Amino acid sequence: MARPMGPVRLRRTNYVTLTIGAFLCLFILYFLANPGSDVPISTSRSPHANPPPSRKSSASKAKLIGERPPVRRFNLNNVTITPDPVQNREAILILTPMARFYQGYWDNLMKLDYPHDLISLGFILPKTKEGNAATAALQAQVTKTQKGPLNNRFRSVVIERQDFDPPIVSQDEGERHKMENQKARRASMSRARNSLLFTTLGVDTSWVLWLDADIIETPPSLIQDLAAHDKPLIVPNCYQRYTDPETGKPAERPYDFNSWQDSPTAQEMAANMGPDDIILEGYREMATYRSLMAYMADQEDERHVEVSLDGVGGTALLVKADVHRDGAMFPPFPFYHLIETEGFAKMAKRLGWSATGLPNYKVYHYNE
Amino acid sequence: MSRHHPGVSNGYPRDDGGLDFAPHSFHPRTSPATRRRRKLMKLGIIIAATVLFGLFVWPGNLSLPSIFSFGLVGSTTEILMDTVRYYDLSNVQGTARGWEREERILLCVPLRDAEPHLPMMFSHLRNLTYPHHLMDLAFLVSDSKDRTLELLVEMLEDLQAHEDPKQPYGEISIIEKDFGQKVNQDVESRHGFAAQASRRKLMAQARNWLLSATLRPYHSWVYWRDVDVETAPFTIVEDLMRHNKDVIVPNVWRPLPDWLGGEQPYDLNSWQESETALALADSLDEDAVIVEGYAEYATWRPHLAYLRDPYGDPDMEMEIDGVGGVSILAKARVFRSGVHFPAFSFEKHAETEGFGKMAKRMQFSVIGLPHYTIWHLYEPSVDDIKHMEEMEQERLAKEAEEQEKAEKEKKIKEQFGDTNGQWEKDKSELQNIAKQASADQKSDSKKNSKPRDEDETSADSQKQTSPKSKKGSAENGAKAADKKKKGNAAKEEP
Repeated sequence: MARPMGPVRLRRTNYVTLTIGAFLCLFILYFLANPGSDVPISTSRSPHANPPPSRKSSASKAKLIGERPPVRRFNLNNVTITPDPVQNREAILILTPMARFYQGYWDNLMKLDYPHDLISLGFILPKTKEGNAATAALQAQVTKTQKGPLNNRFRSVVIERQDFDPPIVSQDEGERHKMENQKARRASMSRARNSLLFTTLGVDTSWVLWLDADIIETPPSLIQDLAAHDKPLIVPNCYQRYTDPETGKPAERPYDFNSWQDSPTAQEMAANMGPDDIILEGYREMATYRSLMAYMADQEDERHVEVSLDGVGGTALLVKADVHRDGAMFPPFPFYHLIETEGFAKMAKRLGWSATGLPNYKVYHYNE
Repeated sequence: MSRHHPGVSNGYPRDDGGLDFAPHSFHPRTSPATRRRRKLMKLGIIIAATVLFGLFVWPGNLSLPSIFSFGLVGSTTEILMDTVRYYDLSNVQGTARGWEREERILLCVPLRDAEPHLPMMFSHLRNLTYPHHLMDLAFLVSDSKDRTLELLVEMLEDLQAHEDPKQPYGEISIIEKDFGQKVNQDVESRHGFAAQASRRKLMAQARNWLLSATLRPYHSWVYWRDVDVETAPFTIVEDLMRHNKDVIVPNVWRPLPDWLGGEQPYDLNSWQESETALALADSLDEDAVIVEGYAEYATWRPHLAYLRDPYGDPDMEMEIDGVGGVSILAKARVFRSGVHFPAFSFEKHAETEGFGKMAKRMQFSVIGLPHYTIWHLYEPSVDDIKHMEEMEQERLAKEAEEQEKAEKEKKIKEQFGDTNGQWEKDKSELQNIAKQASADQKSDSKKNSKPRDEDETSADSQKQTSPKSKKGSAENGAKAADKKKKGNAAKEEP
C-alpha cells in the first residue's frame, strides 16, 4: 500500500492493452468505413456465375424509377413433359421443406445423375432456432456446391423462410407422430409446401420432385426412373434402414404409410365424420383397412411394377408440373377428410390426374 | 491520496524539480532479453495492424465478410451467389400502405380474343397511381384467334418505352398457353347457363396457370383485373389495399343504354352464403357447379351488386363468401398458402366463387365493398341487339312518317300559297280602305259637329263617339272588302 501511484504506472507500457486497443480501433474503423460490405461483393461476383433464370435477376435489388424491364414472352405450349426428360432437356424443380439439415440428404442429392444444370432447388425452412441452424448448414453446403466444379452446380437455388410459425416446436420423431398433433402439424406442412411450390414453379418447369429433407438414400437415377413411367403423380416406396436389435444385423422396415389404396371401411368412416375431421394412416386407434403400398413390396428386382393409388406420401414424389399448374395443391384443411399429400392426391384426382405407386422401388428415410 | 504523496511519504521534503522517482520502488535493469521482447512486440503490433488493414479495408478481399455474416443470416433478402436466392416470406406479408413500404404487386390479366379491349385496358394501366415500378404485369393469352398477342406486345413495348420515366412497369411476362377451349367468347354463348360450368372450370385453369407461372417470393400482393373494365378509379389499388384485407373486391356494375334503365349490376359472383344455397349445394351431384345469376339455381343470396347505394360510404365493408373476378386484390400469402381458382367443383363452386369459398375455408378475410363501384364494359346481348334493331327500325319508320308528313304539308303550302299572298294583299287593301274611311268620317264629323252635339246629350257619350264611329267605319270597310273578295272569288270561279 505504501507504493506511490501515478508516474510509476505510466512508465510501464502494457503492450497487450495497446495491441488490443489498436485492434479495436481498426475494427471500429472498418465497420464505420463500409457498413454494407456484402452488397458490392455479390455484385462484383455476378459475371462469373451461371446466368440464373432471367426473372429472378432483378428481384432482390430495390428497383429505381426509370428502369425499363423488357417484355418477356413464354410459350408454355412448348414445355414438354416426356418419359425421356434428359434427352428432351426438361427442367426439374426439386422442392424440400426442411426442418433439420442432414448431410446424408445433401450427399444423396449431389449423387443424382440427372444433369444438374436442369435441376432447380427450392427449400423452405421455419423461422425457429432449429430452422436457423438448418439454414446455416444448408447455406454452407449450397455455397460450397455452387462455387465448386461447374457440372456439379445446380441451375438455381431458392431458400425461403416460412412466414408462419410451426405448431410444434419439437421435431423429435416421437412427439411429431402423436396423433392429436398430426392435423396441425400437417396443415402447417401443407402451407409450407404450397408457399414453396407457388413461388418457385417456373415458366419452363416440366417436373416437380418433392423430396423430404430426411431422405438420405435413393438410386442416383431416381428422376429418370420415375419419369420413365410417364405418370402425372408417381411415388416410390419409402423405407428405413435400421439395425435389428435381436440379430444385430442391418435390416429395413417400411416408413411412409401415406401411400394407399382406399378401402370401403375408410370411406364409411369418412361418411360418418364431421366436416373438419381427418382420417390418418398408421395409427392403431384408427383402423382403416386400406391397402398400404408400404406392405406391397415383394420382389426386389421387379422395380417397375406399378400400382394405382388413392393417397400419396410426400417423402419422394414426382409430379408433372401441369398437375400443379392446374391448381392441385396440398390442402391445409380437411379435403374429403384428407390433408396434405393425401389430400393432394385427392385434389389431383378431382382435376383428372391419377396417382401411381412403385412398391418395389425404394428410397430410404433417415433413422433417428 | 495524500498519504501516498511522494513528498511526505517518508520525511523527505518534496522535490518539485520534476525528478520523479519513487525511492522505494524496485527498478530492475533492463536485460537484453526484455529489450528483444519489446522489439518483437512492436513488430507484432505493426504486422497485426497491416494484416487487419489488409483483411478489412483493402478492396477486393472477399473471403472474410463471411465470418461476420453469421449474425446477418435471415435478416433480409440476401444474395449469396447469382444462382442462389434467399427470401424471408415474413417480409412480404402485405400491409395497408404498401406503396410506402415498396411492396410489389403482381397484376394478372387473363386474355382471350381481347384485341378490341386492349387500348382501353392500356389507358387504365397508364393512369394507375400505384408506383408502376412496383407492379409486375402478367398476361395469359390463350386460344386467341385475333391479333391479341401481337397488339399486346406492341402496346407493352410502347408503354415500357414511354417518355415519362414513371410510366414503365416492373417485370412483364406474357404467358402463351392454349387449353383448346371449345366455348365461344361471344356474349350469348359465354353467359348461357348450360355452358357455365365447363366455361368456369376452363377459366379457372387459365387463372391457375397464369398465377403459378408468375408468382414469385417477393410479391406481397396479387391484383386480378379483367380486360373489359370500362371505368375504374385510378387509385383503385391503393383504395382496396387500405382496407388491409386478405381478399377484397369492389362492386361491379355496367352502364346500359337509356331504354334499358341506364345502369345495371354486372358481377353477381360476389355474394354472401345463404341457407337455401347451402341446402341446394347438399342436394347436388359432386361435380355440379352452382352459378349465380341464373334462374335455374335460386339461391336467395345477398349479392354485393344489389346492395349498392350510389351515395353510400365507399369504404363500407361487407363479408362475402363468393367473389367475382373482375377486380380482386388479394395478399400474395393467400395464394402462397394454396388458395387458388378451383378448376373442379369445390363445395359446388368453381373459379372465382370457389376461390372465395376456399379462402374462407382457410380462415382468410374475404370482403366486398358495396358502395365502391367500377364499371364493366357494356356489350349488348343478342336479345339486346335484336331489340336495338327493332328500335332502330321503329325509329326509321317514325322518321319516314314524319318526313312524309312534312312533305305533305309542304305540298299543301305550295298548292295554296297564292291564296295566302292574296290574303296579305287584301289585308293591306282593307287597311287602306279603313284609313280612307276613317279620314272621311273625320272630315264628316268636322262638318257635322254642331248637329252631332245636339244629338248627344252627355259629355261621357261624346268621348266615346270617335272610337265608335271608327269602329263603325272599320266595319263598313270590312264589309266593303268582303264584297270585293266575293267579287274576286266569283271572278276566279269560272
